[in-house]
Amino acid sequence: MERIKKIRNFCIVAHIDHGKSTLADRLIEKTGTLAKRDMQDQLLDSMELEREKGITIKLTPTRMLYDFEGERYELNLIDTPGHVDFTYEVSRSLAACEGAILIVDASQGVEAQTLANAYLAIDNNLEILPVINKIDLPSARPEEVKKEIEDVVGIPAEHAPCISAKDGINIDQVLEMIVKEFPSPKGDENGKLKCLIFDSYYDNFKGAICLIRVFDGKVKVGDKIKMMHTGKVFDVTEVGVFVPFSKPCEQLLAGDVGYLAGSIKNLSDIEVGDTITNFSDPIDEALPGYKKVQPVVFCGIFTVDGAKYGELKDALEKLKLNDASLEFQPEVSQALGYGFRCGFLGLLHLEIITERLEREFNLDIITTAPSVFYKVHKTNGEVIELSNPSSLPAPTEIAFIEEPVVKAGIFAPPQYVGSIMELCQEKRGIYKDLTYLDENRVRVHYILPLGEIIYDFFDSLKSRTKGYASLDYEMAGYERSDLVKVDILLNGEKCDALSIIVHKDKAYARGRALTEKLKKIIPRQLFEVPIQAAIGSKVIARETVSAMRKDVLAKCYGGDITRKRKLLEKQKEGKKRMRKIGSVEIPSEAFMSILKLDDDN
Amino acid sequence: MNGIYLHIPFCERKCNYCAFSSFCNLSEKDRYIKHLIDEIDEFDSKKLQKNENFIKKSENLYKIDTIYIGGGTPSLLDGNDVEKLLQAVKNKFELQKESEITIECNPNSLTEEKVVGYKKLGINRISLGIQSLQDDQLKFIGRLHDSSQALSSIELACRYFDNVSCDFLIGLPSQECDKFIQDLEKIISMGVKHISTYMLQVEEGTPLEKIVKNKPFILPDDDECVEIYQKTTEFLQKNNFFQYEISNFAKNGYESRHNLKYWNGENYIGFGLSAHSYIDGIRYANASDFDRYYKKRQQFKEVLTKEQLIEEHIMLGLRSKIGIDRNYLEKLGYFIEKNENFDEFIEKKIIFIKDKRFYLNPKYYGVSNYIIVKLLQNG
Repeated sequence: MERIKKIRNFCIVAHIDHGKSTLADRLIEKTGTLAKRDMQDQLLDSMELEREKGITIKLTPTRMLYDFEGERYELNLIDTPGHVDFTYEVSRSLAACEGAILIVDASQGVEAQTLANAYLAIDNNLEILPVINKIDLPSARPEEVKKEIEDVVGIPAEHAPCISAKDGINIDQVLEMIVKEFPSPKGDENGKLKCLIFDSYYDNFKGAICLIRVFDGKVKVGDKIKMMHTGKVFDVTEVGVFVPFSKPCEQLLAGDVGYLAGSIKNLSDIEVGDTITNFSDPIDEALPGYKKVQPVVFCGIFTVDGAKYGELKDALEKLKLNDASLEFQPEVSQALGYGFRCGFLGLLHLEIITERLEREFNLDIITTAPSVFYKVHKTNGEVIELSNPSSLPAPTEIAFIEEPVVKAGIFAPPQYVGSIMELCQEKRGIYKDLTYLDENRVRVHYILPLGEIIYDFFDSLKSRTKGYASLDYEMAGYERSDLVKVDILLNGEKCDALSIIVHKDKAYARGRALTEKLKKIIPRQLFEVPIQAAIGSKVIARETVSAMRKDVLAKCYGGDITRKRKLLEKQKEGKKRMRKIGSVEIPSEAFMSILKLDDDN
Repeated sequence: MNGIYLHIPFCERKCNYCAFSSFCNLSEKDRYIKHLIDEIDEFDSKKLQKNENFIKKSENLYKIDTIYIGGGTPSLLDGNDVEKLLQAVKNKFELQKESEITIECNPNSLTEEKVVGYKKLGINRISLGIQSLQDDQLKFIGRLHDSSQALSSIELACRYFDNVSCDFLIGLPSQECDKFIQDLEKIISMGVKHISTYMLQVEEGTPLEKIVKNKPFILPDDDECVEIYQKTTEFLQKNNFFQYEISNFAKNGYESRHNLKYWNGENYIGFGLSAHSYIDGIRYANASDFDRYYKKRQQFKEVLTKEQLIEEHIMLGLRSKIGIDRNYLEKLGYFIEKNENFDEFIEKKIIFIKDKRFYLNPKYYGVSNYIIVKLLQNG
């Protein structure tokens, strides 16, 4: 059999928690790619944080060898992240495959991201193999779920393997079907080089590494290659495959999935979705689907100890090496001093980065409330773009403001439609349509401001639907909106890091919620601290933290000073997390707390 | 001058808020007293380590002028045991004339016979664990006495002793400020010369912790406690009880000389289960269970660093009328006037200066921890 006929390139897509990484682990184990003792649960999610959150962010392709009917097949599994923050990355990974396994939880059935991911796969012309997972659970209802897949996703599911990735049930059937159902790649290994970069990472010794799928031609060490969108040219220093750890090989041919190194210093020289071709014998047209990745959520990051600005800068630069989508630029806050304005693909991305800064770099950081990118049309005709509320011009200079909106799809059982629509209205949503997928499931579409989505939307959605609703969204341009800036004054002094941009109709409610929340967070001090929310010079809400009167008057019993000192140590620890704004001490979490305002309470 | 602390870790019943070292198996008493006396006999100042960070002049450790018998419930001991203990101390140490010798007593175990006995042995100060004069409150914290027993024990102690102290708790359920002050008035009229008012702490692992978990509002909140504390302070001062430490009030000349040593950085040598010592810049603590105490005695030793010496001086000095000695801190390398908060504290009259010493304005005693932390070197 011809070499290329024995290759299967595929990925696994699923709604979060439906068992993608567990199935990947089982496939690797079953094909003997890794001995069981070397398996770490959910091997592909290599970062500690990802394992903890149970989500995959970084894609790690793995080559597995599988013997079937006397032939040895090469199965390349390209794992994909399962979160809406990373939709573009997912789409590029799918573009590198011919097939996609669509995992659906046997109890939960089709969810928002099941559908979103399935559509992405269909858009990329992939063969889809539905797999029903978690059949070991007593609540499993595989037959119903199969019907749901056929009705909702619109693909045949009659022969979908029913498996338990956790218990290793029916994994062989999945492997067989990968070989039988998925087409082998098409491509001409003697043609001109055409490769897709579907991901990249940074290696301390080899520099930036491209993860590639070769469509036509071949690439080997010594070749001069060109990135078609960035126009950058590199000499190939290494090519190889992942088994699942990187292993150099002689060359990569049409149909292959692997990696390529070329003394590329910066990860930003590589753009996911770009096409690689041979410099001296290039193709004319790049692969379709390339997009420049743009951050959509922004926040300020500062160190609790202002003197650690340099360390923060180093840490961000190091993270950037492995995450080209992270953006940052210096920012100065009157309240928080020197820091960075950082841009992220979404809230999860933001959370991951801030946690890594704290954990891996041991930094105590303060993050300001997340914000989106606004387009401010000034009265003089100028249009400025900003994400930092404190840089908003004076109201008299503003003609109007535009904010980004998303098209959101929400899946839920029909009984929750009322509360979902209520929530979407509260969040300034514009109703688009509602579809009954079957008697148990409804899909609602809304256009929502992104700024509302990042304020607690997902949590409210979950709590109002007892966790049954799932959400997917994509960016849908900019819309004009009546927005104002709400400032927070502590002891009469404006704290720029606490300013927010909100819709005019919500300014009062949010100002009040914010002052109430801050009252709870800011500890009592020696003197009374008034907290005010204001639009311009008009105060819209006020709370007061009364003066502290008592801390611990423990008995120094029998000369046991150590007890007393421990108390003091505790207090000192607490003080470290405090930031002094004017004469007021604020715990660092106050700045993020703006995010967690629950409008319901 | 040095002080001696003797720990008697026995109680008839453990109070539900107590996290101190105390046990109810009285059968252990005789063996324990024997070990305690052995420990005193074995004391040898030559065997002690030196702390090079310690900059004060070290003294003759055998000269002592206070003995404090604390617990637990020392009044559970009969006169013979107390006599043996005091004899052991006197054999080893040079007890100065006019020394202060205190014994802690609980109202229910104090008898006239014991009081007379203590007096004969040279004990000259009695500290009574009254805690409250309200029966419901006493019951709540699991004390074995009621208010009438409390009053008769005070009467008894005052009949034989000039220097009687009473401990009270602030922060008990349905405590009312006026009633509390009336109770204090009553005991003052009976001749008590020293009053300690501690705030009830909910310590980890105590039965009280469980109670509070189930009934979070059973105890008065911070504001109510502070209210009582401040009114109490005012009342006591009006009645010539001078506040010489956050929680301690005494008529002139009746301050606890032993307790002042704790706050003044003077040496004290503790004997017995979980007893603490501080000797020339080193802190020691004994094991807190019987087996380990019998076998090894000491549980830890901590040679204080310069930073710790500075911290302790500020922490203990500001809590009391002793104040902070700026020259001493300077010798340890800390220039307190350069602390970033110092000027603000002076300006706002939170701290005041007298004869090159700094004192905390008693108005701010309640929030001393907060201020202490801000005055520390790295604050």
